[in-house]
Amino acid sequence: MELSVGDRRPLQRVPWVLLVGVVLTALVGIYNLASASRPPSSPVWMSQIAYLGVGLVAVVAVSFLDYRLIQQATVPIYVINLLALIALKFIGHKAKGAESWFVVGPLRIQPAEFMKIGMLLMLAKYFHDDERPAYGFLRLIPPAAMALVPIGLVLVQPDLGTALMMVFTAVTIVLFARPSWPVLAVMGLVAALGVGVLWNDYVRPQAEPRFTFVRHKLKKHQDQRITSWLDPTSDLKGSSYHAMQSKIAVGSGGISGKGWKEGTQTGLRYLPEQHTDFIFSVFAEEQGFVRCLFLLMLYGVVLLGALGVAASAKERYGAFVAVGVAAMIFWQVFENIGMVTGLLPITGITLPLMSYGGSSMVSVMLGIGLLVNVNRHRQMFTG
Amino acid sequence: MRLGQGREPKELRPRIIGLGVAFVLGLLVLAVNLYRLMVVRYEEFHALSIDNQFKDVRVRAPRGLIRDRRGEVLVDARPSLDVFITPAFCQKCATEVIPKLQTILGWDEEQRKKVTQQIRDAHGPQRYQPQLVQIDLRREEFDVLLAHQFLLPGVDLEPVPHRNYRAGATLAHVLGYMNEVTQEEFTRLNGDSQAERPPYAMGDYIGRRGVERSFEDTLRGQDGWVKQVVNARGEVMRDATGNVLQGDEQPPKAGKNVILSIDARLQAEAERAFPGTAGAVVALETKTGFVLAMVSRPSFDPNEMTGRVSPQRLAQLNKDPLQPMVFRAGAEHYHPGSTFKVVSLLAALQSGAFTPTTQVTCNGGYSLGSRRWRCHKESGHGVVSAQRAVQVSCDTYFYRVADVLGIDPIAAVGKALGLGSITNLSVVGEVPGVMPDSAYHDRVTPGGYQKGMALNTAIGQGDVNVTPLQLAVVYSAIANGGAVYQPQVVSRVESPEGKVLQTFGPKLVRQVEMTPEQHQVLVNALVSVVNEPGGTATRSRLKDVVMAGKTGTAQVARLGAVRLKTQEMDYWERDHAWFAAFAPAEDPEITVVVLNEHGGHGGSDAAPTASAIVKKYFELKKADGLAFGPEYVAPATPEPPPAPAVAPAIPLHETATGIAGAPGPAPPPAVATSPLPEAPLPPMPESPEGPPAPPPTEPGGPH
Repeated sequence: MELSVGDRRPLQRVPWVLLVGVVLTALVGIYNLASASRPPSSPVWMSQIAYLGVGLVAVVAVSFLDYRLIQQATVPIYVINLLALIALKFIGHKAKGAESWFVVGPLRIQPAEFMKIGMLLMLAKYFHDDERPAYGFLRLIPPAAMALVPIGLVLVQPDLGTALMMVFTAVTIVLFARPSWPVLAVMGLVAALGVGVLWNDYVRPQAEPRFTFVRHKLKKHQDQRITSWLDPTSDLKGSSYHAMQSKIAVGSGGISGKGWKEGTQTGLRYLPEQHTDFIFSVFAEEQGFVRCLFLLMLYGVVLLGALGVAASAKERYGAFVAVGVAAMIFWQVFENIGMVTGLLPITGITLPLMSYGGSSMVSVMLGIGLLVNVNRHRQMFTG
Repeated sequence: MRLGQGREPKELRPRIIGLGVAFVLGLLVLAVNLYRLMVVRYEEFHALSIDNQFKDVRVRAPRGLIRDRRGEVLVDARPSLDVFITPAFCQKCATEVIPKLQTILGWDEEQRKKVTQQIRDAHGPQRYQPQLVQIDLRREEFDVLLAHQFLLPGVDLEPVPHRNYRAGATLAHVLGYMNEVTQEEFTRLNGDSQAERPPYAMGDYIGRRGVERSFEDTLRGQDGWVKQVVNARGEVMRDATGNVLQGDEQPPKAGKNVILSIDARLQAEAERAFPGTAGAVVALETKTGFVLAMVSRPSFDPNEMTGRVSPQRLAQLNKDPLQPMVFRAGAEHYHPGSTFKVVSLLAALQSGAFTPTTQVTCNGGYSLGSRRWRCHKESGHGVVSAQRAVQVSCDTYFYRVADVLGIDPIAAVGKALGLGSITNLSVVGEVPGVMPDSAYHDRVTPGGYQKGMALNTAIGQGDVNVTPLQLAVVYSAIANGGAVYQPQVVSRVESPEGKVLQTFGPKLVRQVEMTPEQHQVLVNALVSVVNEPGGTATRSRLKDVVMAGKTGTAQVARLGAVRLKTQEMDYWERDHAWFAAFAPAEDPEITVVVLNEHGGHGGSDAAPTASAIVKKYFELKKADGLAFGPEYVAPATPEPPPAPAVAPAIPLHETATGIAGAPGPAPPPAVATSPLPEAPLPPMPESPEGPPAPPPTEPGGPH
């Protein structure tokens, strides 16, 4: 069997549209970051350029790796990531109450970002290896464990936001693999129950003493986030403050925006985490609605490009990896933009390619590299 | 399964398309939501973002001064360097900022907890208002804090005018003090104004007690505001040249000055001359009711009470058996003792049963039924008539009066003169005292009213209780022929520039019916107490002025079988010493009441204080070259005059234009040069509004 066709013509079958979309988005991100990190902030956008460089190197490196190697290395990659998460408990750096980082010299590495990739590779391998249709309960136990172990480790850091994103990504992959109808029914039931619990605990007007299922078990800040999501005007000066300030920033951008470096909410520091989690608010305030639509379209290009890679993949592993990367990016974009516009509760989630941060940038780029790799090897066996 | 062994996953294609549709739908949801925020609700959020840029910064209005009648400043302000925390801008307040403040300012753990709680308790709009956490920084502390301010987000340092009571404890009960507005007051005072700039902020001071409280609205100005551009942490933004960026502003309006009728020099003399551990001195303008001096001892220091009193100190003040917080001149009542006898005498004369010449024989006591009431002089006073009875304070005479009249006619006269109800000095809380009548005794005394109670009442014992202020009103009314004036301590309100805005004239409460003859008998009797041999206060006689007065020695503990000398008794069982006087007797200007709590005897322990005050009053009057009175015109400049010690002796220009509603100008100083103990007093003029003499059977009373 001839296995190395792609390597002789390195630029063949590169998903150019996807790559252009990614690079354009990242450049818009740096331009926006330059405004968000204007004095008196430190100019972190310069570091972001370096991270983008590292990310692009990662894309190239991953795309040239032997496809078989990646598949064979899936389990080791997954295990190493798990070990890194466990090690975090012992040698991790504590910031904002969570142990989420390794500090290596000037670098701060966030293993959870890489765990996402490890998890989706592992799920892809499972659904590639066991391809009989209609997964029942028993056959879904291994992938459930593969997802839940790293999710649990991330959750105890605690990093609720990343854990949620991993849940959504994993559920998307499982749904994509098409479980049996009973499984779907149970999943639907669980979702309905979740909505019901939320409704009971937060929406339904209740007389004291309130009867709640989970609300009394949540930490105060988590409870407040859900409250301020479902009732944004409940505590404008308190827990809803950041959500409201973000909405003010976005809404006051109007159609054409206040202009680069002209955002008042940004300049007067009303936005929390304006380099990272709330970067979109800066963009919306300064660039306006029209350019926001353009940014959403760029993400659309990236997502559809990723799905295009999946569609053209010649076997399940590649298709599942591509779908997993696409799902990972989609959920982060959806949750991040949703939260800064008041649609979803606030969780600490970065906006892929826009938010400042090396780990986030590199993990997304690793995913993109995987997409390029899958695309380049799609005709390995037929051509 | 090995790679390459699988077939092409064609079955995934429709799912991929489905996923693509879902992603696009998701992005559409985001786009629609963005449209809703950025296009539909743009105006709303745009306005909010503009609002965000400005912070209203308060510009505190200076509080009005309190001056004495001559313009001398009694209460003003000095700058205090205060620390504020704005909770909304104070990040990591409890964990970092407050511990840092604790280190720099040397707070104890309790103070740290208190401040932490204060910041935590701020909810809603309060989170955006600076909370006062420490007053009166020392200069070094201020410098250290200023140097560390970048480490202390949300912490502001501000020089705030702090109330300064120049004379310390002097007049404390009348002036009052200030402390922080409570949560309840904050809600109440700001409640009806829905404005975003409520008149009071948390941490603001509000007047407590006295003039500070009752004239809070006058003294308090209106704070101004300036809109400054701030960032989300509340830091004021500056332009490139360092100027504070600011929008529109509203300058503060200074509070108005309150001018008291007190004369600080006379007040100082009263404080000096009063010997008691506890007690009160009240000096009134006889013909208007304005307060000239007012001592309540022991006192407290309003400077200490204003913002800095510790709970321990407050508890100590409240537990002090001498009760320094109690306003003894008006908020505490005492048996008037013999000073009450003028009331009994007036009742006796008005009843018609007694004439000035009616004689009573005193053999040291008076028998009624099976009981015997003792006179203070065991050997008895012999035959006494009205004047003599007052002069020597013969109890037996008044026992006889009570026996003949019963309690009610005496109570009616007492009530008409203002006893048993508050005088409405208005700036300080008062107690009404007790003027018992038969109905009162039927209500409160087991067994109801009996004649013996009238006997006790007639000599100012029994259940009759008066405040020193009430007694001053009673003696003023007797001095000026029956006109009962409401005592007042504030004479006018001036603008910060010194323009008179409001003047308070004398307030006549009622005219007690009193014939000139009755008036003259009373005045003559009181003159004889001080000026004739045998009077109980002759040691306090003045050389240049005829003072009329009455001593009182109010029994506190029951008399034992053996009469002890004052010094031999326990402090709390000693008698209260009273002296009530007015001068000059022929045309009274000043009424003085002295109460020396547990002081001993009126003649020896209260009268000298009164005569010192009267003496000082006429010395000052001579030095100033004009009478204190309502025709006095305030100095035009708002500047306080130089210290009283160097006050010019040059007479000020007397202007004829009196203050509206005031009685005619007092006559030029007519200081009697020869006291006339034997000579008859000049006939008293008809009181201006006095009704004709009442029928003898109907004692004068309120109409």
